[in-house]
Amino acid sequence: MRRARFLALTGATALAGCSGIADKLGQTDLVRNALALPEHLNFAILGTGQPLAREYRERDISPVFRPNGFMPPSSPQYAQWAADGWRGYRLSVSGLVAKPASYSLAELRGRFNRVAQITRHDCVEGWSVIGKWTGVRLGDLLAVAQPTSAGRYVVFHCMDDDGSGTLYYESLTLRQAAHPQALLAYELNDKPVPVENGAPIRLKVPTQLGYKSAKYVQGIEVVAMLPGAGGYWEDQGYEWFAGI
Amino acid sequence: MQKKRMTHVIMRHPLLVRITHWVIALSLFVLAMSGMQIFNAHPALYASDASNFGSPILSISGETDAQGNPHGWVQIGRVRIPTTHVLGWGDNGQGSEGARAFPGWATIPSEQDLADGRRWHIFFAWIFVLCAAVYARFAVKLIPTKADFKALPHTLKEHLKPWKIPPTAELNPMQKLAYFGVVWFVSPLVIISGLALSPSVDAWAPWLPWILGGRQFARVWHFAAWIALTGFFVGHIAMVVLTGFINNMRSMITGRFAVKGAK
Repeated sequence: MRRARFLALTGATALAGCSGIADKLGQTDLVRNALALPEHLNFAILGTGQPLAREYRERDISPVFRPNGFMPPSSPQYAQWAADGWRGYRLSVSGLVAKPASYSLAELRGRFNRVAQITRHDCVEGWSVIGKWTGVRLGDLLAVAQPTSAGRYVVFHCMDDDGSGTLYYESLTLRQAAHPQALLAYELNDKPVPVENGAPIRLKVPTQLGYKSAKYVQGIEVVAMLPGAGGYWEDQGYEWFAGI
Repeated sequence: MQKKRMTHVIMRHPLLVRITHWVIALSLFVLAMSGMQIFNAHPALYASDASNFGSPILSISGETDAQGNPHGWVQIGRVRIPTTHVLGWGDNGQGSEGARAFPGWATIPSEQDLADGRRWHIFFAWIFVLCAAVYARFAVKLIPTKADFKALPHTLKEHLKPWKIPPTAELNPMQKLAYFGVVWFVSPLVIISGLALSPSVDAWAPWLPWILGGRQFARVWHFAAWIALTGFFVGHIAMVVLTGFINNMRSMITGRFAVKGAK
């Protein structure tokens, strides 16, 4: 018994040593740069094609689509829109496009094809839920807007903030944005997207981790260079690609 | 011809095996520790494709009771095993204790930091896979033969007193089976179950999570393979120490290994 205790303690001390060394190394530029390398490799291998995420059956839909992140947006404007059935809310498409535009929810429903997908949502934390998302293809919206040749990325400006005034945002390459399953959803499980899941419009990109699927989208901007690290969580050190 | 029982030195491991052995050893350490960091972000496993949050097959959590006393536990199905101060409730990596599945001293980074944990994990996953690919050409040698199975009962008996096992040029059947299992089954399992957790990989290869029973089930396999690797590690270290520590270590550093038997 004594020997087992001694061995366990030795093991724990050795692990703590490794953990401490890794903490110190993790603060050096060399190691930080090295740890950032696989993301480029992963993106080159997995992120440039457009394979489709698996689509599920109605009976696979999770009973609750677990909400995560910041909710609901704290602005009085958001509260007013939510109370008013989103009258006055408009989704804008701007930046490096030939035809900037903005759409009310009714216009989104009326002018673009309605598409639905039952896909799995994989959170970076490790859990998954399956939900049915209905809305318009991001690619359809961008086709109308006609990005100019200088445009490389699409940035999504959102209405939720982290409590310190920093607004959520996300980004995709134009190619990722043209993925047939990249969706601007106005319905979740056949009902308008609930506030906790990103009302009135949530981006859904089922081939990447959950934080890429930005909630509360208000503006879509085509840009030549990414602002910051390309997203709210990316600015906190998470990968921009987020396919793994 | 008469054979003399004498000691001589052979080259046991080629350079490539020695290098990949140590790089894989380092990788597995970092992978295990950063893997525990990642597990901490959602410390529950589900035997399904999506998470059925109400019924995880395993979870590790902790909380304080009404009197303020901390409790940590591992829950497997309906059985709750108290593990306060180690699992569920323990070192938070900042010098105090709190609710946390795996303690700070066992994780990389030691503080709760999913973003950095993922970067460590994915970096060393690449290193591990590349080394495993190099190592694969030596793996054929580990396939057990009929003769190995025949000799197994004898070797099993020998292993009751591991310090008496003679160093031989060839792997004994027990070694072969252990290495065969780890190289041919557990390592491929840990790699494919890890890949199946990636939504982008799943889009390219939808059959991958499917053969494992779904994405959350792939997480169970990944966890189980880690437990198996940890078990192997404990047995491996024990045998290295018990069957001639200096000789064994030398064989994996310089390649030279003293064996008993005819030249």
